[in-house]
Amino acid sequence: MDRREILDQVRKSSEHLKGIFDDEVETIIVDRRYGFINGIYKKVVSRPAIERLSASDQIDRVVLNRVLGIPIFLFLMWLMFKFTFTLSEVPMGWVESGQEWLGNIFGRFFPAESAFQSLVVEGIIGGVGSVIIFVPIIFLLFFCMAILEDSGYMARAAFVMDRFMHKIGLHGRSFIPMILGLGCNIPGIMACRTIDQERDRLTTILVNPFMSCGARLPVYALLIGAFFPEKGGTVLYSIYILGIVMAIVMAKLFRKYLFPGPAAPFVMELPPYRIPTIKGVIIHMWERGVLYLKKAGTIILAGCVLVWFLGNFPWSPEYSKDYDRLKQEVKADSASGLITKAARDESIANLENEQAREKMEKSYLGGLGRIIEPVVKPLGFDWKIGVGLFGGFIAKEIVVGTLGTLYAVGEADEESAPLRERIQRDTWPDGRKIYTPLTAFTLMVFTLLYMPCVAAIGVIYRETNSWKWPLFAAGYTTAVAWVVSFIVYQGGRLIGLG
Amino acid sequence: MKGGFMPLNMVNPGEEVTLMAIHAGRGLQSRLHSMGLFPGVKMKVLKGGPGPLIVSVRDTRLALGCGMAHKIMVG
Repeated sequence: MDRREILDQVRKSSEHLKGIFDDEVETIIVDRRYGFINGIYKKVVSRPAIERLSASDQIDRVVLNRVLGIPIFLFLMWLMFKFTFTLSEVPMGWVESGQEWLGNIFGRFFPAESAFQSLVVEGIIGGVGSVIIFVPIIFLLFFCMAILEDSGYMARAAFVMDRFMHKIGLHGRSFIPMILGLGCNIPGIMACRTIDQERDRLTTILVNPFMSCGARLPVYALLIGAFFPEKGGTVLYSIYILGIVMAIVMAKLFRKYLFPGPAAPFVMELPPYRIPTIKGVIIHMWERGVLYLKKAGTIILAGCVLVWFLGNFPWSPEYSKDYDRLKQEVKADSASGLITKAARDESIANLENEQAREKMEKSYLGGLGRIIEPVVKPLGFDWKIGVGLFGGFIAKEIVVGTLGTLYAVGEADEESAPLRERIQRDTWPDGRKIYTPLTAFTLMVFTLLYMPCVAAIGVIYRETNSWKWPLFAAGYTTAVAWVVSFIVYQGGRLIGLG
Repeated sequence: MKGGFMPLNMVNPGEEVTLMAIHAGRGLQSRLHSMGLFPGVKMKVLKGGPGPLIVSVRDTRLALGCGMAHKIMVG
């Protein structure tokens, strides 16, 4: 039976039933279904004679209160980030020292200066390791989100936001895909399927990438750890809120100019509150968190190896100076007593750093960086950040992975310091620090807003069944990211920050 | 208002009413039906407008947008 035959049969049968029952088929089916349910219900459920306000309703009186609703939602979000950030500090330290230890072991295990040692220590341990460090923070955030979801609060959040969403031409239901987007934009975008109206659905899909997903967390965590250690939770919270605000602003614009029309009606079930079970929360946290680990082992590993390759080849470029000869000369000077031993070691270290820097600048990645740098310089970013952001198109964690690899390569000394400390030290050629708190914050803003990752673009394509929307999403988010970052950075400089 | 129909959003919180009709297109009708909202059903308004309403239908709490509540006639 082909599709047309089936549809024909459906139409015939429903006409037939309509003739008998004198009503729409859907209505009849629902009527019978609830008749059946009621029959069973009466047999098995007994209720107290007096109806009282259930605990759920009492909580809802407060949580859904017209005045308190939104502040409560914002407070819970803040609590979630504060909790995540404070609690993850200790386990992150463990993973970090584990990574250093591994780097040093492998550094000694393989022949020094060989391409293989460089691949393992700089490419894999430096790159993937700098992403793995953030596993504790990711798991904790997912843990908190699982609690909010399992308790039934997330549906209330949609309700609370409905009035707000209504003003921008969407309804509360659109808020659920946005909240899911906080875990990962892909399920967020897929959840838009439940939105009936095409224009609401497209709007919600297009703004979903502004919801800050877990993959962006490593970038924030790295920068916050290095530049805002005191007020980590608050800075993180402000970034997430900025994402939500941008999503709302863009949704408003899209609804007004791209997809005009009245808002679709809003109906949603509010499940009763439940105390989340530990098992349930852990399962939810694990299911999502393990995806992050898998990603680190696959796409991020591949990305870091690629970045390592591009950053290291050509293996022996033509240097502007003959570093080997210069080093020999320094050694000869020292041997003949012209300079002290300390001065010798210092000039050799300087030469090696200079050589490493020149090698990286002459690499393929350096070439790519030179193309990108003019575009990102007005935002206060150097070419390394530019390359990192470019790599972040594959997956946003790669921004951190790339910086991990690049700084591991640039560092000529033996001891490997955490990436956090390396970026604090890096300077422009004129000696100014590249990373100030202002640059760090701008970089977080840019990472939050710019082009969704490849996987998200793919899902937008699948969900809209056209290349128009994914391309549009990639283009407009990057434009918004650039403009907002420009305002943040240059504005910050004007008022004397950084 | 005894005997007359009125839109759901005019009902005071705490009042129990019976759903009489839904003025909506087929798609929306069938969606509401599948959530248990169809003529004859008893519902209690827990939270009134402005803004979305909460009604209790057979121990389930449903959130209804303001526009939606306009289309549901109760008596």
